[in-house]
Amino acid sequence: MADNVTNGESFSVVDHFFRHESGRVIAHLTRRFGGKYFEQIEDAVQESLLKAMQQWPFSGLPANPTAWIVRVAQNKMLDNLRHEKIASDKQALLSKKDEKGSLEEVYLEDELKDDLLKMMFACCHPSISMEHQVILALGILSGFSKVEVAKALLKSEEAVAKAYSRAKQKLKQSTENFIVPVGPQLNRRVDIILKIIYLMFNEGYNTTQGSSLIRRDLCEEAMRLTQLILENRLLRKPKVHALLALMCFQASRFDARVDANGRLLTLEEQDRSRWDQEMIQKGSTHFAKALGFGTLSDYHIQAAIAGCHCFAPDFKSTDWKRILELYDLQLRNNYSQVAALNRVVAVAKVKGEKTALDELEKIGGSFQGYYLYYAIKADLLKGLGSVSLAKEQLEKALQLTRNQIEKDHLLEKIASLKAPD
Amino acid sequence: MKEFLYLFRGGDARQVHQSPEEMQAHMEKWGAWMKELGESGNLVGGLPLNAEGKVVEKSGEIVTDGPFAEGKEVVGGYIIVKANDLDHAVELSKECPIYEHGGSTEVRELMPM
Repeated sequence: MADNVTNGESFSVVDHFFRHESGRVIAHLTRRFGGKYFEQIEDAVQESLLKAMQQWPFSGLPANPTAWIVRVAQNKMLDNLRHEKIASDKQALLSKKDEKGSLEEVYLEDELKDDLLKMMFACCHPSISMEHQVILALGILSGFSKVEVAKALLKSEEAVAKAYSRAKQKLKQSTENFIVPVGPQLNRRVDIILKIIYLMFNEGYNTTQGSSLIRRDLCEEAMRLTQLILENRLLRKPKVHALLALMCFQASRFDARVDANGRLLTLEEQDRSRWDQEMIQKGSTHFAKALGFGTLSDYHIQAAIAGCHCFAPDFKSTDWKRILELYDLQLRNNYSQVAALNRVVAVAKVKGEKTALDELEKIGGSFQGYYLYYAIKADLLKGLGSVSLAKEQLEKALQLTRNQIEKDHLLEKIASLKAPD
Repeated sequence: MKEFLYLFRGGDARQVHQSPEEMQAHMEKWGAWMKELGESGNLVGGLPLNAEGKVVEKSGEIVTDGPFAEGKEVVGGYIIVKANDLDHAVELSKECPIYEHGGSTEVRELMPM
């Protein structure tokens, strides 16, 4: 009667197992049944996970939990199709049935990896907007629920739900051709994927609003997906290693960059003994692999800059000269406003605040309305002893950001400015 | 020691839309709870029930499809535990994760035969 019960056998699956299997199994079934069944596939996988949740505590873990989830979801799909009894699908149904019997668990792992990659390309199809690409990537590849996506991206649930269902319609078209593209297309598409992954990482890393747990998950997901790309021989390009190195270097500071009250700490204020050395080591390994032949990507330069900070034992010994060279290189390769502003900080360290201020004013025209510009200008003025002018800049900056943490940070700076000059 | 039946009602995760991450967390709680009952020697056995089923009445004159009642009432599974008495059995059921989603445990003593 009840001999199936686990009776105290050890019971645990790896962290985020359901989340990750959800993505892989949805991708797998999409390849096998076709993108037009996408909603049904999502439901079937959800149901399969539910069954696992209900049964596994009683039965103990199946020998191959992944194969179990695939089997249950797939049978649900076969049932669905049988009920629909659409003539044109009958043939497909029959052939799927044959496949069912021959599904070799030995190959399943490789198949799932491959299918997830194909799904990654489908989510990052150029016909889908970047905002939607991120939502699809999180919702499908990473198995986040709409509530979790909303939390992670600081959006409302309704907004995410709306965007998700609209993006899904596009996805259905892009999954019609469910392949990893080849030839010249491949490089362009990989670039989009890397961009989406880095966006995902930055969403998790750059603010400390909301639950820090979900933000960390976001960073870890970005790194996991990059790792997955690196597992594919054709996609293992230097810039992919460079992106992973960059994320490792930044993630090493994840815990150290906020204090106990959730206040954002600058590089100068951070306790460097709290930086994750293992992560830095991992970053170095990937950075070394990124340095093969091939073009120098933006990720290479950003990783090199992030690495400079990681390897400085304290703030004072930061190699600002090298950082300045790297920013110069980055701007020559690919102009970016944020990089131009950050470069000014390096200029101040190497050539003094006066030079930095001159350079900042030179590029100032394009930064009207950007709070960071005024915040940096204030720092330079403060360094030069012009306290009241610095305060003016900080107040301008304050009006330009709605982010509470940035606001607090600015207010604190204003308060720390002492008597006028 | 006497034997008791725990009937788990409701707490059906189908009603509460959970993310894969939440489902895993919930499953792990069930696993840990059952493991503890097993290790302390209180767990005799049990099984979860499929959501689908039929209700047969009047010698089969009336056969209806499940679900049979409101989601809250549906029996989702059962286990049998050993306990000193009813109070002890109730005590042992208090840590069950079923309450997370508003479910309940019906605790009944099995009649010794």
